[in-house]
Amino acid sequence: MLKRAVESINDTCFIWRQELKQMFKDEGVIIFFIVVPLLYPLLYSWIYNNEVVHEVSVVVVDDCHTALSRKFIRQCDASPDVKVLCYAADIDEARSLVSRQLAKGVYVIPSDFETRLNRMEQATVTVYCDMSLMLAYKAVFQTAQTVTQLMGSEINIARSSHYTLREEQIAARPLDFEEVVIYNPSGGYGSSIIPAVLMLILQQTLVLGIGMLAGTSREENRYSNLIPFSRQYHGMFRIVSGKSLAYLMVYIPLAAYLALVVPWMFGFPAIGQWQPLLAIMIPYLLDCTFFGIVVSCMVHYRENVMLLMVFVSIPLLFLSGVSWPQTSIPGFWQGVSWLFPSTFGIRAYVRVNSMGCSLSDILFEYQILWVQTVVYFILACLVYRYQIHLTRQAVRDRVARMKAKS
Amino acid sequence: MLVYLKDIWRLAVRECRILLKNRIYGFCMVVFPLLVMFFFTSLLSEGQPQELPVGVVDHDNTSTTRALVQRLDGFQTSHVVAHFASVADARRAIQENQIYGFLYFPKGTTDKLLASRQPKISFYYTMTTLSAGSMVYKDLKTIASLGSAAVGQATLKARGATDEQIKALLQPIRLDLHQINNPWTNYNIYLSTMMVPGLMMLFMFLISAYSLGTELKFNTSKEWVAMADGNMFVAIIGKFLPQTVVFFTIVLCYEYYVFGHLGFPHPGGWLIIVLLAVLQVAASQGFGIFAFGLMPSLRMSMSICSLWAVLSFSMAGSAFPLMAMDGPLKALSWLFPLRHYFMIYQTCLFNGYPLYEAWFHLAALVAFTIMPWLVIGKIKNAMLTYVYIP
Repeated sequence: MLKRAVESINDTCFIWRQELKQMFKDEGVIIFFIVVPLLYPLLYSWIYNNEVVHEVSVVVVDDCHTALSRKFIRQCDASPDVKVLCYAADIDEARSLVSRQLAKGVYVIPSDFETRLNRMEQATVTVYCDMSLMLAYKAVFQTAQTVTQLMGSEINIARSSHYTLREEQIAARPLDFEEVVIYNPSGGYGSSIIPAVLMLILQQTLVLGIGMLAGTSREENRYSNLIPFSRQYHGMFRIVSGKSLAYLMVYIPLAAYLALVVPWMFGFPAIGQWQPLLAIMIPYLLDCTFFGIVVSCMVHYRENVMLLMVFVSIPLLFLSGVSWPQTSIPGFWQGVSWLFPSTFGIRAYVRVNSMGCSLSDILFEYQILWVQTVVYFILACLVYRYQIHLTRQAVRDRVARMKAKS
Repeated sequence: MLVYLKDIWRLAVRECRILLKNRIYGFCMVVFPLLVMFFFTSLLSEGQPQELPVGVVDHDNTSTTRALVQRLDGFQTSHVVAHFASVADARRAIQENQIYGFLYFPKGTTDKLLASRQPKISFYYTMTTLSAGSMVYKDLKTIASLGSAAVGQATLKARGATDEQIKALLQPIRLDLHQINNPWTNYNIYLSTMMVPGLMMLFMFLISAYSLGTELKFNTSKEWVAMADGNMFVAIIGKFLPQTVVFFTIVLCYEYYVFGHLGFPHPGGWLIIVLLAVLQVAASQGFGIFAFGLMPSLRMSMSICSLWAVLSFSMAGSAFPLMAMDGPLKALSWLFPLRHYFMIYQTCLFNGYPLYEAWFHLAALVAFTIMPWLVIGKIKNAMLTYVYIP
């Protein structure tokens, strides 16, 4: 009994060492296990580091040319999000500026703008938006909206016959309100998307690397079996734990780097406490590892894993509910998203990291991660048992053939 | 000339056999691209996120506050799912992913409102999911402003103002918004038209590098070069012609599906659509072959292709605009075919401006197409002398 236990530990460690050797021998695996997780987050953080769109160019067609119309233009220009590029003589000239990508929107002030306001009628400002960039459209539209509201309340106050400042304030806004953004307060694009990307990079590089390693060992095997025919590779449990230990050894520091160092370096939200972070990273890493092992058994040539897994990254990011709200994902795709560790890993991490959740807030995701870990571990063991069976079968066949020959 | 054509034909027939024999080609050239197309168009089929869950903390609980809550629930993008006892509970619900924001009425809101003592309500929302956050923000802000407007309207009516006058007094300046070619702010039109072509380009990159690399891997490279009599132009054209045809057909299927069937706006017309499809396929294959020529090893070229392709979704500057990125990144974006594709798409097809407005991007895609020419010698050398090491 004791002897068996010692033997199985020995075998596990042997496989662990073998796997590490393979890993560092292979430049393709080095790229995906070390270079990509280290550099890609930095690159993405750099891309999104400016967070918000400022100074979107607009063209103004001012048919009114009065003090009020110029005030509108001045205030738009002074706002952080919009920059008035130039005046255009008419809408055609403005359109040609937009078509040359010099401006993203057009403000048209009609000739009766001030006249109507002086007559106490509703005046209009026409806004044309180029809809090819959502953030630019929002900047152009929301700036015009804010400025017209501000000017409107100023006009209203001037028209009213109140005596005190306080009366004017109350008349302008009888019901006051305050808007509070509680998480990701700058509304930054990077702060919203990068935490999700970090977790996705963790899963994807791990799966790609494991898949490549499996493909290589299959190609190096004389009979294109996944596991070599040697004494140590006889137990499914030993294989799965030995290999996992090797991957975890590399990925535990990387996970710490992705989950803690990168957000800190670029000033992305990082208000999570260490206990819940640690609590979710453990099942997430295990989950990704076993998931990777299961996927790797489907890979017959080492490069095929890239064809299978790379394109999935973008849909997986959408399924995590970070760029498209989780409640708006159709049921079918919700179901598909349950197959991948990243869905729950991203949700749990984003909420701990960006919203400061405690473990009880993300209990559901946390439990699902553990369920997935167990399921993928069992699956990984089963596929390896099948592989062991295949290897033995192949050996038996060969022996039988050799016997028949002799 | 005729000899060349004959060689090309023979190589194309050989390539067709390879494509049929190895199942991975069928998956990566037909099944996955179509799957991705259905994924994005069905995921975003709502157009805009709808019925996003929001909550209410109503300590006042009068008919005025309830009317505002009902109005909020009536909006298409918001759905009031719960009432909470306190702000702390509601915040907790945001953390538990139940709601994206909530509206808070302190006690005495209505009393103060009627007594003209300017009560203050507040709304809280989270921006961790930008699309949900900005939708919920818009609705919550509208409701909060409507509270004031309702009071103003009641006062003005009591004084005998006409509807026209009330409108002019409540909102002296009105915005007349024209959202050109996407008046519904439809995210399907905005995102699918970049994501799907981008993923198709990813497959074109990868398959181009893969099909060259596997010649080395399966030790058929010498046979391939020999069939073209050592002429690499013929060899490459013959090998990639069938792939071009398949990819072009798939891209056209996609174009028909989104512009024809789903009716996405395409004022540029079908000529531009076909031109864009040709350029998309040719430039991507050019890039894939170039990447292989640069590093004639299957794994390195495929790694470069996948990293480049995934990066291009950010560098295309569609979700987060390029103009907001740092200077060096703007220059780097020229190296990504998807960036040029996106610019031609949005200038000429989506907005319907003349083709010469995007001449630079057109030229860039043509340049990507002829880039393999730079490394053709290297590819030949690799095919004849390199040995594949797993």
